[in-house]
Amino acid sequence: MIKDSWMFKPFSEKPIALLDEQGNWVADFPMELPPDFLRGLYRDMLAARLLDEKFVILIRTGKTSFIAPHAGHEAAQAGIAQALQRGHDWLFPYYRDMGLMVAMGMPFREIFGQMLGNAADPAKGRQMPSHPGSRALNIFTVCSAIASHIPPAAGAAISMKLKGTGQVSVCTFGDGATSEGDWYAGINFAAVQGAPAVFVCLNNHYAISVNLSHQTSAHTIADKAHAFGIPGYHVDGMDVLASYFVMREVIERARAGHGTVLVELEVYRYGPHSSADDDSRYRPKEEVDAAKKRDPIERFRRFLEKQGLWNLEWEEMLRADLKAQIDRALEEAEAMGEVPALAMFDDVFAEPTWNLKEQRELVAEEIG
Amino acid sequence: MATLTIIQAINAALDEEMARDARVMVMGEDVGKRGGVFLATEGLQQKYGPDRVMDSPLSEAAIIGAAVGMAAHGMRPVAEIQFADYVFPGFDQLVSQAAKLRYRSGGQFTAPMVVRMPTGGGVKGGHHHSQSPEAHFAHTGGLKTIVVSTPYDTKGLLKSAIRDDDPVVFMEPKRLYRAVKEEVPSEEYLIPIGKAAIRREGNNLTLISYGGSMVETQKAAEELAGVGISAEVIDLRTVMPWDKETVLASVAKTGRALVISEAPRMASIASEVAATIAEELLDQLEAPPLRVTGFDTPYPYAQDKLYMPTVTRILNAAKRVLDY
Repeated sequence: MIKDSWMFKPFSEKPIALLDEQGNWVADFPMELPPDFLRGLYRDMLAARLLDEKFVILIRTGKTSFIAPHAGHEAAQAGIAQALQRGHDWLFPYYRDMGLMVAMGMPFREIFGQMLGNAADPAKGRQMPSHPGSRALNIFTVCSAIASHIPPAAGAAISMKLKGTGQVSVCTFGDGATSEGDWYAGINFAAVQGAPAVFVCLNNHYAISVNLSHQTSAHTIADKAHAFGIPGYHVDGMDVLASYFVMREVIERARAGHGTVLVELEVYRYGPHSSADDDSRYRPKEEVDAAKKRDPIERFRRFLEKQGLWNLEWEEMLRADLKAQIDRALEEAEAMGEVPALAMFDDVFAEPTWNLKEQRELVAEEIG
Repeated sequence: MATLTIIQAINAALDEEMARDARVMVMGEDVGKRGGVFLATEGLQQKYGPDRVMDSPLSEAAIIGAAVGMAAHGMRPVAEIQFADYVFPGFDQLVSQAAKLRYRSGGQFTAPMVVRMPTGGGVKGGHHHSQSPEAHFAHTGGLKTIVVSTPYDTKGLLKSAIRDDDPVVFMEPKRLYRAVKEEVPSEEYLIPIGKAAIRREGNNLTLISYGGSMVETQKAAEELAGVGISAEVIDLRTVMPWDKETVLASVAKTGRALVISEAPRMASIASEVAATIAEELLDQLEAPPLRVTGFDTPYPYAQDKLYMPTVTRILNAAKRVLDY
């Protein structure tokens, strides 16, 4: 295990990778992760992929109004989730993180509740799909406004430092977010305070249609860390072990009091930006196909197979089990039914103000 | 009991709340060593240390956004924005994050925080040191907004704001910071959010105002009294949720209402109050409710005093309402 010194160097020209395309371990340190943990990473990734496929069915059958496909991000998502202390550390996710929710331990039923916006949603159907959150899991509810969660993630990290809770605030976002003012404002504040915050860019090179070349002239996203005086790590986010090992190191580094970190996980989004997007208008199919050849799940499968931890029988069993769980959870979520109409007036404040009471009354009369 | 200015009342409220509750902290530009550019936080860093009285980077988005995260994580941050005119880089944090956190999470996360800011004109500050942006906040579901006008209210309302479980925008008319002094109890008292104060009782018409314009409103009431007209004067104190019950009870009694505020007229608090009076009291009104407000221009530098409702303008409106 890595303990005594920091293994990884920031600001690398090439993304840090520990597995080659064939799934060979190419790092210069022993891997030393237990078989169950490795299989767990694979399970997280596969579950995220199957969930993504299920979401496409939800949108096609009109059961949900919006999806933000995450296929291609699974290695980064599984690596992040396993590297933090789930339920202790805080996660500030963004809208393409439903796969990350699975790895964080959010029940499928809650995930589908959020996607359906019905009574199975712990947030009572308040937001459009792909905007999860969970107080129980310390997952700060997603806000659509890009990079608006960066300053709150910094604030939580400062609070953790002031209180000495030993927690870390981990915050994810896409490459487009790194152009927002709030991105700089938030990371700067965390860095100045030496707060235990890890800011993680899932760089899939597209903010809807805008390619990274039109987003920034910085050589890498990790390079932007120079402006804050913090380390920036450039990582192959389609390599689950690189994602996990780097995230584990920087999270423990932050926990140990060494301050704020920026990580760039290079990924590729297989699908369109969302169910409302047509990605054929801005990127060639060949590019997508080439990215899929580097598929994170496939790469890790090869690795597991070489380790004697994977065979077809186990794969089929795992898939069947996950699919059954997903199907059952969707059924359970659907059975929960609609959120009561008048609940739309709850949770504006701890206690409703008179104007809300009047407006609630108006709707109550209207719907009878 | 001590005689305090508004700025001293802010300092006393912060001091008392920080002493009472270790979760309360102060954050903003120049709030630490400098004690704030208006000295609202003077002496607090020496007393509570740089962690609880934190000098922030020059970024309103960072200040308000970090306050959201701190509040969600269990602190009770009181953020200072140096001038209300500079809240706009942090406006998205107020609107998208603070105001909606409880709602969007279905009550799982909350943002119990206060954002203090000097507001209003009358100090020859031009449009970036004089605006009254309270309507922006009142228009956003999930924010409570207070505009004070007296030292006594300032202390009692700021303490209530800090203890409130939701985000509160706390606006302090900077032209009154040192202009008014009054006896403020040293012992604990709170003023409830959402409760107006009747500053003067009367029967002929109701003058409804808040914040800096309370000064001219009270002067106008005084002049009206000199000619035998008895005006009831209401200080809203909280503009969201404003005290509809007190306002409507008064206007039902007098039958005439003026709403006075130095904020621009278009889509303003004054408009909201006037519209509500018209909607709910039409058959008891002797005249249409009128607004006396700032203008829909950017705030001018040279005409600093003329922009805000003058006593003359209030009296002219009162005459229209009384003669209707």
